[in-house]
Amino acid sequence: MLSAKTNPIDEDFRSRPAGRVLPLRAARAVLTFAVRKPLGGAGAALVVLVAVVALFAPLIDRYDPEQVFSRSNPDFDAELAEKSLIDRSLRFQYPPEKFEPVVIAAVDGMSADHWFGTDTAGRDLYSRIVWGARLSLLVGVGAAVIAIAAGLVLGTISAYFGGLVDLAVQRFADALQAFPALILLLLFLQVFENANKYQMTVALGIVGIASVIRVVRSAVLRTRAELYVEAARVVGATDARVMVRHILPNIAAPTIVIFTVSIGSYIVAESSLAFIGFGDPAAISWGRMVNEGRRLFPAEYAMSLFAGGAITLTVLGFNLAGDALRDVLDPRLRGSGRGGF
Amino acid sequence: MGAYAIRRALINIPVIWLIVTLVFFATNVLPGDFVARRIAQQNPAGGVDAAAQIAQIKRELGTDKPVLERYVRYLADTLRGDLGESYRTRDSAFAEFSRGVPYTLQLSLMTLAVALLTSVPIGIISALRQDSPADYGLRLLAILGVAAPNFWVGTVLLLLVVRFDLWTIDLVNHPLVWEHPLRSVQLFILPALAGGFASGAGIMRLTRSQMLEVLRQDYIRTAWSKGLRERVVVVRHAMKNAMIPVVTVIGLTVAGVLSGNVVFEYLFNIPGVGNRVLTAINERDVPVVQAFVLIIATFVLFVNLAIDLLYGWLDPRIRIP
Repeated sequence: MLSAKTNPIDEDFRSRPAGRVLPLRAARAVLTFAVRKPLGGAGAALVVLVAVVALFAPLIDRYDPEQVFSRSNPDFDAELAEKSLIDRSLRFQYPPEKFEPVVIAAVDGMSADHWFGTDTAGRDLYSRIVWGARLSLLVGVGAAVIAIAAGLVLGTISAYFGGLVDLAVQRFADALQAFPALILLLLFLQVFENANKYQMTVALGIVGIASVIRVVRSAVLRTRAELYVEAARVVGATDARVMVRHILPNIAAPTIVIFTVSIGSYIVAESSLAFIGFGDPAAISWGRMVNEGRRLFPAEYAMSLFAGGAITLTVLGFNLAGDALRDVLDPRLRGSGRGGF
Repeated sequence: MGAYAIRRALINIPVIWLIVTLVFFATNVLPGDFVARRIAQQNPAGGVDAAAQIAQIKRELGTDKPVLERYVRYLADTLRGDLGESYRTRDSAFAEFSRGVPYTLQLSLMTLAVALLTSVPIGIISALRQDSPADYGLRLLAILGVAAPNFWVGTVLLLLVVRFDLWTIDLVNHPLVWEHPLRSVQLFILPALAGGFASGAGIMRLTRSQMLEVLRQDYIRTAWSKGLRERVVVVRHAMKNAMIPVVTVIGLTVAGVLSGNVVFEYLFNIPGVGNRVLTAINERDVPVVQAFVLIIATFVLFVNLAIDLLYGWLDPRIRIP
């Protein structure tokens, strides 16, 4: 039996494009994509925009997102305050706001200083929305990476070996999918007391595994029947080698598609959790902003509107880019629904 | 077909066992113990003989036994149809579930109605008038509908009604439709619109793409060339075949009917299944969480089974041997 290292078939076909050509080809591919799929191009632009905002948040924000602003107090009575330094009893005779020169600038309207106004705790809303992009991207991309990694392994093994393994993995996927996604998430999150953003990312990734398994499995089933897989096996490639060298590269297209398309649903799931009060209390989350802003209705609504708008634009970007990618890379997947939730 | 249906139904049994096990261990390793919470509630001042009390309550609830013993006991109880009783109210968990069902059912059915009434006709119109301004407008709306998080759409709707004082929303009494029809609809219509818009947007896009595919088929051209009216071509020839994948998606929505929408029930203070499971998880009311998840998941599994069978019935080509 030939050892895996000197597999002649593999050596012959290992022709790669030269390194210098690659960036040029990539640039042309991006350009063609943007021209052929204007909506997808717009989506990709939105994704890039959000990514830039998240990466360069310290440069784009105008204030520290945690800085609490104050404003002069109209009720402040300077004379009374001065008198109270001598006569302490005055402090008890008048309402406390008479003695405070400044108060927290909570829920200020839009202004040149605060483009989107301030939130309930007197912090700059624009800066907080800028910083919120970090959490959404971290959770969205992180959960998608986890789900894809685990789903690829389980899905490939399930389809490649078939039989009992397949049956077990499929029932596991069935069980995960029978839960309403949000309830399953709440269950996972309750295992940690006040889950932080990393634990939340892992929980979201686990919940998303089932749909990745399904996509990967059907792609592997198609690929496994191909002649080149059979040929690789005939020359003595091990199972692991066939899966990694021959099957994985050929299911890259559907995998990339489900990766992109599912990010949006993880972002929505994170913000939904934050909205009902299960978010990472230490993180700046758009979903929690929508909920906090809701308490100011109907007088003030900027907070809810802007935070929700930010979620919508981000998800829109990932969805448009993902849909266009799907049309280009894997037309067969069209209309087969969205990954994740 | 019959053998296939039976096999599919039997395959659900290990899945249910997996779910039950998963939930049991997820809820029984919760760090925030129900007992600790109850002690804190009973003794706000603290200091009293807490250890003895904890042991006492644990004995009452039966949680002083080892996890494995409780697991076996729980499986046996579940098999006998006993879903346990709430730690909090000492009422049966099943009763707690049934109290939530009417609210969730009303909300889900209204949402489904909104989704179907808007999505299917709009998807068909969009496909028939492909690339017209109306098509572009409707598609844009659908793309936005998929992207906008449903809790935000619900929040904005709530804001609009309150801000422009369109009507009063009874968030306190949350009446059901047979208790107070008008006020009930005034409350439930907002989450139904928001949820229906979100799931309708997906169904609309699917309907459109399926219709476009079917409209290009030869038999549609034949139907046109026979001189049939548009309505007949669309309804009798095209729609029938375009609807098959749509039925699947609708089925998935139906499967969610009992699950309740946690977000909307939270936002609109509706005491449905979703809101109750949220409370139970928050209060670490383990038997209630277990019972809810078991009932919901079993329901979802069997609706999925029904969809698969319906699929084969709708389209004889894909009928499984």
